[in-house]
Amino acid sequence: MLEELVTKLADTPWSIALHESLYMYAITESTHVMSIMLFVGTIAMVDFRLLGISYTKVPVSQMLSKILPWTIAGFVLLVITGSMLFLAIPIRTYHSIWFRLKCLMILIAAINIAVFTFKVERDKAAWDLGPVPGKSKICAVISLSAWACVIVFGRLIAYNWFDCDSITSPTMAELTGCPLDPG
Amino acid sequence: MTLYHTAQNIEASALGQTIRESTWLFPAIESTHLLALALLGGSILIMSLSILGWGLKTPVAELYKSAHRYFNAAVVALLVTGVLLGISEPVKLYGRQAFWVKMLSLALALAVTYFAFNPLVRRGVSGASARGVTLLTIAAWLTVAMAGRWIGFS
Repeated sequence: MLEELVTKLADTPWSIALHESLYMYAITESTHVMSIMLFVGTIAMVDFRLLGISYTKVPVSQMLSKILPWTIAGFVLLVITGSMLFLAIPIRTYHSIWFRLKCLMILIAAINIAVFTFKVERDKAAWDLGPVPGKSKICAVISLSAWACVIVFGRLIAYNWFDCDSITSPTMAELTGCPLDPG
Repeated sequence: MTLYHTAQNIEASALGQTIRESTWLFPAIESTHLLALALLGGSILIMSLSILGWGLKTPVAELYKSAHRYFNAAVVALLVTGVLLGISEPVKLYGRQAFWVKMLSLALALAVTYFAFNPLVRRGVSGASARGVTLLTIAAWLTVAMAGRWIGFS
């Protein structure tokens, strides 16, 4: 079903226009990179505070209320430009093992954010300026690791080591949804 | 010896060849370069947003104590990985306009950050001139990032 969807996407005039336009694709990818500075950059600073290693004079509540809106703005920019990058090359990206791992990492990071929002930060008034609890540090480490992986895997999508035409193992065929080359 | 010859010599060096011929080295260095870029963005933005009145209410000189460590670490990581990337393909870079735009904006960004932005932040200066320097600093680093990505397209 997803396979049909990306095949249809690839045939849309928007996909072809993005794919063929040198400037629009380059501008979109550059904006994607600049948005990483805003998104991962600000989330990293919040995580360093949640680890208790930096900005310890800034209340945790302030860090969350004043910095996270900028993180969200960065995320919106990344989703818009990321969707455009996907739309430009839908079929190859859909099968990319790096794209799939990137989505998995985003999912892990999202679950971590949900746990932090609904469980961990509930009693933050008690540690707004004092020592941070272990649960906060765990969330920060998961967040930093997951977003770092998202950046690395995202960058690796550009490389064709595991494109469908070079896949020979059944496991990789399964993971990438690529047909196994009968030859 | 011209600059172009120097580029050819660097390209022929053992280190340049090793990075160029390895499957994983260039992507690994490139990914580290991107991670450091994110760190640089976060550290400069947390101070900048505060100066512009859109961020933390904590005095910016206090933020600087933590932020400048991340910023300096990011600059070192970016320079080391950037030089390694450059060593692997200097002849290509020599001919790319985007590379020279990046080097010029990098020099500007480093100068503005270390000679104008940081001194202002350390002294906790606010007001129109501090906001002006802040916007210039952000613009300079965004140009570096944009031109850097553009090297791959031009």
